[in-house]
Amino acid sequence: MLACRLRIDGQHASMAGVVADFVEVLAGEAGLDPRQTYWLRLATDEITTNIVQHGYRGSAGVVDIAGEVDQDEVRVRIEDDAPPFDPGGYDPEPRLSVPPHQRDEGGYGLLLAMGKVDEFHYEFADGRNRNTLIMRLRGGSDADGPGRR
Amino acid sequence: MSFKINMNVEGDTATIRLAGELDGRSAPELNDLVSQAVGRQVAKLVLLLDELTYMSSAGVRCLVFAHQKLPRGSEITLVGTQPEVAETIRLTGFDRSIMMR
Repeated sequence: MLACRLRIDGQHASMAGVVADFVEVLAGEAGLDPRQTYWLRLATDEITTNIVQHGYRGSAGVVDIAGEVDQDEVRVRIEDDAPPFDPGGYDPEPRLSVPPHQRDEGGYGLLLAMGKVDEFHYEFADGRNRNTLIMRLRGGSDADGPGRR
Repeated sequence: MSFKINMNVEGDTATIRLAGELDGRSAPELNDLVSQAVGRQVAKLVLLLDELTYMSSAGVRCLVFAHQKLPRGSEITLVGTQPEVAETIRLTGFDRSIMMR
């Protein structure tokens, strides 16, 4: 298992780099193809960014990221102590129905997070948010994530 | 991470070349150049993306920002977009309002 703990203090400019390196190493271990690596990294990046920006709202906190590889899948588990929030319950439709020049700048992260991973699970357990992203090992075939409609 | 960006303005067209990864770290640099282009009253924005390997929602927000700052009816064209970056943009619905070629 590969694990890291990010201590967030409101200054999170370098977080995307930590996430990128983490997923890169995990994907290498698992033998994910570049396409799957891209989408697993994007999902991990977006979930983590969402926790920092909207979960902790600029206050201090921790984000724990753990990665596991087994025979047929790679799992990334992201846990935090922010107020309970289920990213799977986020509905992007109202935002997408607005013409681009009238849109808010935000709100695309979770849409992208759900976009192409094979499975997404959320639970609130032991006082923590637990997000699990799963990418199945299969070498290159198309994925349509749980967020696809 | 390597990220490179530069802009060339000719007439009413600003051409911005991006290479590397567009995420929360690099997005402010793109927004800065878009603001500069708007200050120079361009009507067309061309983004050369053949060397861009990653785009997160922070990059998508740059496209929204450009849409909002450029005059209504301005053209935004993405050139050479790699498949995963193009798919990222498609998931957010922006492929309907920009040109990708």
